[in-house]
Amino acid sequence: MKRTALTVGALACVAALTLTACAPRDGSATNGGAKDITLVDSQPAGTKAVDEVDWAIVEGEPATLDPASSANLIIPNLCDNLLSLQPDFSIKPGIATSAEFVNPTTFVIKLRDDVKFWDGKPVTADDVVYSLQQSMNPASQWYGAFALVVPDPARGIVATGPHEVTVHFVAPDSTFRDALAGQGSAVMEKAFSQAAGQALGTADGGLMCTGPYELAKGGWKPGSEIVTTANPDYWNGAPLVKRLTYTFVSDGSTLTTALTQGDIDGAINVAPSSLAAFQGDGAGTLTVGHSTASYSFGPATATGAAANPEIRQALSLAIDRTQYLKTVVNGLGYAQKTIVPEFSFQSMDAAKTYQAGYDALAAPKVDIAKAKKLVQDSGEDVSKPLVLAVPAGSKEMQQTAAIIQSAGASIGLHITIDEMQASDFGALFYDPSKRAGIDFVATQGYLEVPGVVGYPSLFTLPEDKGGIFNWSDYDNADVTAHMLAARNATDPETAAKEFVAAQKVFAPDMLQVTLAGTYQLTYLNKKLTGVTTSVAAYSSPWALHLGGK
Amino acid sequence: MRTLLGRLGGLVLTLFLASIVIFSAVLLTGDPISALAGGAKPTPELIAQIRADFHLDDPVWTRYWLWLTNALHGDFGRSFVYKTDVVTLVAPRFAVTFQLVLLTVVFILIFGVGSGILAATRGRAVDRTVSMLTSLGMALPTFVVAILLIWIFAKSLGWFPVYGEGDGFWGRLWHLILPAISLAVLFVAYISRITRASLVAQLHSEHVDTARVRGIPRERIFRVHVFRNASPQILAISGTTIAGLFAASAIAEVAFGIGGIGSLLVEAAARADLPVVQIVSLLLVTIFVVLNAVADLVSALIDPTSVAGGSRA
Repeated sequence: MKRTALTVGALACVAALTLTACAPRDGSATNGGAKDITLVDSQPAGTKAVDEVDWAIVEGEPATLDPASSANLIIPNLCDNLLSLQPDFSIKPGIATSAEFVNPTTFVIKLRDDVKFWDGKPVTADDVVYSLQQSMNPASQWYGAFALVVPDPARGIVATGPHEVTVHFVAPDSTFRDALAGQGSAVMEKAFSQAAGQALGTADGGLMCTGPYELAKGGWKPGSEIVTTANPDYWNGAPLVKRLTYTFVSDGSTLTTALTQGDIDGAINVAPSSLAAFQGDGAGTLTVGHSTASYSFGPATATGAAANPEIRQALSLAIDRTQYLKTVVNGLGYAQKTIVPEFSFQSMDAAKTYQAGYDALAAPKVDIAKAKKLVQDSGEDVSKPLVLAVPAGSKEMQQTAAIIQSAGASIGLHITIDEMQASDFGALFYDPSKRAGIDFVATQGYLEVPGVVGYPSLFTLPEDKGGIFNWSDYDNADVTAHMLAARNATDPETAAKEFVAAQKVFAPDMLQVTLAGTYQLTYLNKKLTGVTTSVAAYSSPWALHLGGK
Repeated sequence: MRTLLGRLGGLVLTLFLASIVIFSAVLLTGDPISALAGGAKPTPELIAQIRADFHLDDPVWTRYWLWLTNALHGDFGRSFVYKTDVVTLVAPRFAVTFQLVLLTVVFILIFGVGSGILAATRGRAVDRTVSMLTSLGMALPTFVVAILLIWIFAKSLGWFPVYGEGDGFWGRLWHLILPAISLAVLFVAYISRITRASLVAQLHSEHVDTARVRGIPRERIFRVHVFRNASPQILAISGTTIAGLFAASAIAEVAFGIGGIGSLLVEAAARADLPVVQIVSLLLVTIFVVLNAVADLVSALIDPTSVAGGSRA
């Protein structure tokens, strides 16, 4: 199961889109939107050494850099995952030279023997066992991916050699290998991490990883910047940038000006509304890459109209996606049919089967008459207004809310908007009492690793089977059976077929009404190149090849 | 001396009352759990642990007492978000804000007081012009000035940077000029008006007429009789204005991406980082009270008779 960031907000650290850097490889595609967009997932590698690069983190300063409890764009440059996620969302060996099931419930990870932590100590099987066990903690955000591992720490994840780790499962798990390309497998030094304890990942506690950039002691000045330096002994080649400094700019217009003036060298997830400024005559250029990010909204309650699929279908029929894309993301997106976007499976083994399943789904279209009829036939009492929660301070979310509201009005649904402060909005996702009185929640989420089962599981399965965001108590026996079968499949083709069978049923039920898929927008100074510009940036060292042209 | 002690007592009392108000106000702003949990989805056990660690379930007065006793020992708590000591978080940022305010004050005193003097003494045409400009200045909010300055001097002309606080003396100065101007405009206009009004009032007073009749030179009349008598009022208002700048700087800091206490406060408030909000608010109150007291004392030195009327703070 993959983790999805559902918290959005001007200042929330876990937010939205993605980007990445890795092997230089140009992929291009066009979309059929308002204008043709060339999608580039990674830029050519840098060739010249650079002393200093200033990078802006749009989502704001993270609370921690501990890979087990935070997802942000700084960690991927600091901590390596076992498998290496490529800009095109394919998976290659990394610190693990191989990671495969040797039988349906036994998974063996073989490690490189030449990888060292920043302090020079070699990476051992014990370090990897310790690191993976962090994801077994229910508080970890990667817990879902490890749900089928034997829970007993003495028998679940064990070292079976100096450079070999074996993972034992209670049932076959077709999603586990993909998860190892994500932060759930981030390798940390056991001794350092244990000594740091609760402070691990904070400015005081620090981190000890193997990545291309090092977090020096005192490098994180809370409230102002995080300074990282090149790891000269990086196993995959030292980076060209000596100092990579992250600053935190949550004000969109300040960032746009700073980037186009060259005061800041680059940023990932820049605001699509500033497209004209980014394409104008500035210090850098905008790169548009593939993403798995999307805007959607879904029910927050098991009672009332919002919990009724017909009401959600009606709302979906009343929203003009073309207009939505133009208004909210300045045309930098596409109409996405369901919550699992195409990019998440395009490099998987059974990609053809997944694609056929996706293509067979109905594309969103406007049909007000049909929508009105759905509302009438639903038998729901629609005299009471429905409350839609969105995070405050996000222009995109405000526009999203306004569009949903007016779509509702056009089919006789009265919707009121509740703009919530970032911290209150975040609390909706784990505190049921905070959801009282809320009917819909609008969010932006992304999938940071390949794989299709994890994300929809959160919304479609019963809560005890992993449906932690299944707030409408959706329970369809077919969907549950097919989803579990997909996860427990032992070959990719079976997994794909089972998933497609489940998707055929849950997609029309719109547990999330998907509004638009978006692209990853990266702005980089013209003197620089080498950044991973697809959503893979969330799980791979996107600045590894960053350097001068 | 007694005045000084009295002022000190007043200062302590004001701070004590302010700390109570700030502490309770901050508590009303909602549940800090998600800030404390730091992005992860907390389990019920983790939530219980956090509530116990941060005394979230204790009665308000217990929490206040705990906070106050720690604060008196120099421990203002740890940031919920960054988990570090708030003093180390606030101190370097306060220096940045202080420099920004200092530069702004220089602009305000030169252009505000200067244009006020010109308006009061250089005839009608000058008075009219200054009056028109100050009306314009007072109508322009800081964020509008910031946008205009960025557009003209940073984007079009490229003379100044638009982001960050810079390093080294000249780098810092260069980075802070536009933010300081954007902050200063409103207050320049305000101080200019106050200065002009005080000077005009003095110029038409009896003692100035008497001095004039006695044949004292014009320049000396202005220096000794007019400006000195008008100074306490100008200073008192300037004191409040400068204190206000520390709070108003948040707007310029956010617009120009400067890491001062203003932008810290804005960010901490949005993330429910209560200890940071508390210390920055308290710092702002302290600055306000202290600056007012200083302005009063300086007024007293210039014109000892004004002390009786000095009741501020």
